[in-house]
Amino acid sequence: MKIVVSDLSVHYGDKQVLDDINLEIDHGLWTCLVGPNGAGKTTFLKVLLGMASYAGSIQDHGREIFRDHSRNVAFVPQQPQIPQGMNVAEYVSLGRAKIDGFGKESSKSREYIYTILQHTKLLGMQHNLMTHLSGGEMQRALIARALVQEPELILLDEPTSALDLHHQISVLNDLEVLKEKGVTIISTMHDITLAAMYADRIIVMQHGKILLSGTADQVIHSSELRTAFENRIDVYTLDSGRPVIVASKEIHTRDEE
Amino acid sequence: MVRSDSVARIWDWKITATCFAVLVLVALIAVSFGPVSIHFPRILRTLFDISGGATDQERTVILQLRLPRIILGALVGAALATSGAVYQTVFHNPLADPYLLGAASGAGLGATIALTSTHHNVYGLLPIFSFMGGVLAVLTSFFISGKFFAEPNSLLLSGIAVGSFATAVQTYLQQRHTDQLRPVYSWILGDLTSASWDVVLWSALYIGIALVILFSVAKQLDGLMLSDEEAFSLGVNPNTLRILAVAAATLATATAVSASGLIGFVGIVVPHLVKGLTHRVTNRSLVSVALVGAAFLVIADLGARTLLSPAELPIGVITAFVGAPFFLIVLRSRRKVATS
Repeated sequence: MKIVVSDLSVHYGDKQVLDDINLEIDHGLWTCLVGPNGAGKTTFLKVLLGMASYAGSIQDHGREIFRDHSRNVAFVPQQPQIPQGMNVAEYVSLGRAKIDGFGKESSKSREYIYTILQHTKLLGMQHNLMTHLSGGEMQRALIARALVQEPELILLDEPTSALDLHHQISVLNDLEVLKEKGVTIISTMHDITLAAMYADRIIVMQHGKILLSGTADQVIHSSELRTAFENRIDVYTLDSGRPVIVASKEIHTRDEE
Repeated sequence: MVRSDSVARIWDWKITATCFAVLVLVALIAVSFGPVSIHFPRILRTLFDISGGATDQERTVILQLRLPRIILGALVGAALATSGAVYQTVFHNPLADPYLLGAASGAGLGATIALTSTHHNVYGLLPIFSFMGGVLAVLTSFFISGKFFAEPNSLLLSGIAVGSFATAVQTYLQQRHTDQLRPVYSWILGDLTSASWDVVLWSALYIGIALVILFSVAKQLDGLMLSDEEAFSLGVNPNTLRILAVAAATLATATAVSASGLIGFVGIVVPHLVKGLTHRVTNRSLVSVALVGAAFLVIADLGARTLLSPAELPIGVITAFVGAPFFLIVLRSRRKVATS
């Protein structure tokens, strides 16, 4: 099963944000979008959600995704709008509302929400107001809301950007568990080292175009990755074989390993 | 039990039941007081049609004067409070009120046209004129702002502009027809003296339709508190829902205004009161908001009828007397939250 993107373009006024994208994204894998700011990663995520309009075609399970309400896609934004006066339990249970037809929660849903709250270590603070949470707790509440949706596809915009190292790993590990359960994950990520660690596929974007896509290994060691970041990165390989990508002060004129 | 308690408190029927009980109690108190004093047991017997009730004259007072007025007050209160709560969610603005998009000024202009008209048969059409005025003003606001909800702020601004324009025309008409100043003035301050079973019936119809729509989308309204992308991923269609919610709230508001004039502050006071008491998002207790709004207006009207008895105080004076200080408290506590 694949999400098939053909001739996709998106304009905001005169500005071309996504330019003629052709791509296939495998279900059941973790695909990571990387690239410099303004490359169109977030726009691509929003288009994959099915809400923004686009030119071209995106087919999921053979159906065009635009305004297709039968899909169950969770969306975790980079900067969520935090609702005033809503507590954690209410916030997380929003993810379940559609399943219960926006009526009273079924007892099954209630059990499920409880399990997810427990799993995301939010139990005990479920009556706290969302506005009183720390950055890490907020991110966990967002992920929890996405999880109670039981989505088949989860889209995450910079899921780790607001978190310290410890919380970054904990969120990414949770997502990895989710992937093992068969959920498709598409995320944008600033940290290419982390992307290489977790993602099965990496897509490199620049100026609204796809520069390169492939397995994590292929992409990390390719010269196009450097081109995307204007040769301002260094790629090292640790003894364990793990690639590490760091920013470089110098502009490299040719590939160096 | 921890397990169910952890999430089950979201819909709490006990709160709704309490609000309903308060409304019934308030209505019973309101029906018992008035310029004509009637024994309470006799009132109860009359209401429940048990023999040994009131005299014919007292029956008329209870059934033709007090009861329709109380029911109309409850309907108007429920309409204004619910619309206020919905507008506050839709516009992400805790100080939004049902008159935000020019409904009040438009309705005021419509009513003034009816009241100052030289044709006497137009006078009886006052509710229709004010209803049309209110709806037209809201539609104009939408039309001017262009892209519906692409920019909620531009909609608010055009609502303010349309409102000011309608008020200007209304004042002009008022000054040209100074003989009609008093009825116009008393209508603007709001009153329920026009309550008859006719008015109650058509108000109940329109307000009922609007409230059923709003209650049925109450839980989806939570989605509007998030970003549009998040709402969409949760199964809510944000733009369709906003249009539906604003249309229903406008229907309720326009009906309330045409039945009772401009009664201010109910739409702000009541949602915040319920929010403060229940500690939950108002959408989750929209039915309670309606019930408390109804009770609030019935009490306010009791004050309007009895404080200067046998003369009447405009009900808008009472709601504003309570509402204005409350409004300031809300403002102040918001600033505290923002700075802390």
